[in-house]
Amino acid sequence: MATAETVQPGDVTQRVGVEVIRARGVDVDKLIKMLVANAAEFASTYYYYTILRMNLAGHEDYKEICEDARLEDRAHWELIVPRIYELGGHLPNDLKEFHDQAGCRAAKLPDPPTAVNILTLLLESERCAIRSWSAVCDMTFGKDPGTYDLAAWILNEEIEHEAWFIELLAHERDKKSIPSGHFRRGEPGEAPYSKNRGFYNP
Amino acid sequence: MGQRAYRVELDTPDGRRSFDCGEGEHIWNAAHTDSVLLPAICHQGRCLTCSGRLLEGTVEHDHPDAYFPEDEAESYVLLCRAMPRSEVRIRTHQEWEMRNHRIARDLPAPYA
Repeated sequence: MATAETVQPGDVTQRVGVEVIRARGVDVDKLIKMLVANAAEFASTYYYYTILRMNLAGHEDYKEICEDARLEDRAHWELIVPRIYELGGHLPNDLKEFHDQAGCRAAKLPDPPTAVNILTLLLESERCAIRSWSAVCDMTFGKDPGTYDLAAWILNEEIEHEAWFIELLAHERDKKSIPSGHFRRGEPGEAPYSKNRGFYNP
Repeated sequence: MGQRAYRVELDTPDGRRSFDCGEGEHIWNAAHTDSVLLPAICHQGRCLTCSGRLLEGTVEHDHPDAYFPEDEAESYVLLCRAMPRSEVRIRTHQEWEMRNHRIARDLPAPYA
């Protein structure tokens, strides 16, 4: 097996960027599978949150918050996909196969599509994302700073999203005030931690 | 009136552990309360990280996202959503066994 030191000059079949993190104890194959599964969640979330957002008519504040989460999950998708390829992985060529890899439940429109049901679904979707990105952080902390940084940025925003939906659900369902600390994004889906390549992904 | 509880016995890589679990409680949660830390990620009955194999007894799954008749036929259980319906004995840490079982049957196997 190659190591970071033994990759030969001009060899395009090995990656020093992979071997250095493997040498530090990262199971790179497992990490790639986790990133693909998490990317599948983002692709799924972006799709289903679009539908959820469409069904929040009359709750324009909820709709805008849902829109921020939707766009930021797209930013997360675009942040993490390049890392999969840098590590030597790839996305499945078949969309159904990709969808089946997702480690979280698809955020399908609930029946009936009440604001309470939609907010509950959004909250639990964000919670699953927090758990799955925490797992990536645990796997890479102190070993793979590249992936860890991306995962931590994403995790920060998923934690924010959870706080938003706790606030909104507590208000809508329980008539309680549980402030999230949310300030309006400068623009919809600003993704203050994770939006990379602003020029490329305006 | 309190809910009925059943004795749960887990065969873990660190040895056998047992505790009581209410009939409306997820076995993973009861284990956690008893300081038995089991793997899990999604807590939605989807990702298979919490998979176990039922050795004795019966369980019911609480709205798992993806649990197939083929899983039940092979006694695989998802501890994050499984609730006891009798005294049970379960082998834990079966995530890769269950993923391989799913792959062999062309069923979804997240993280595989």
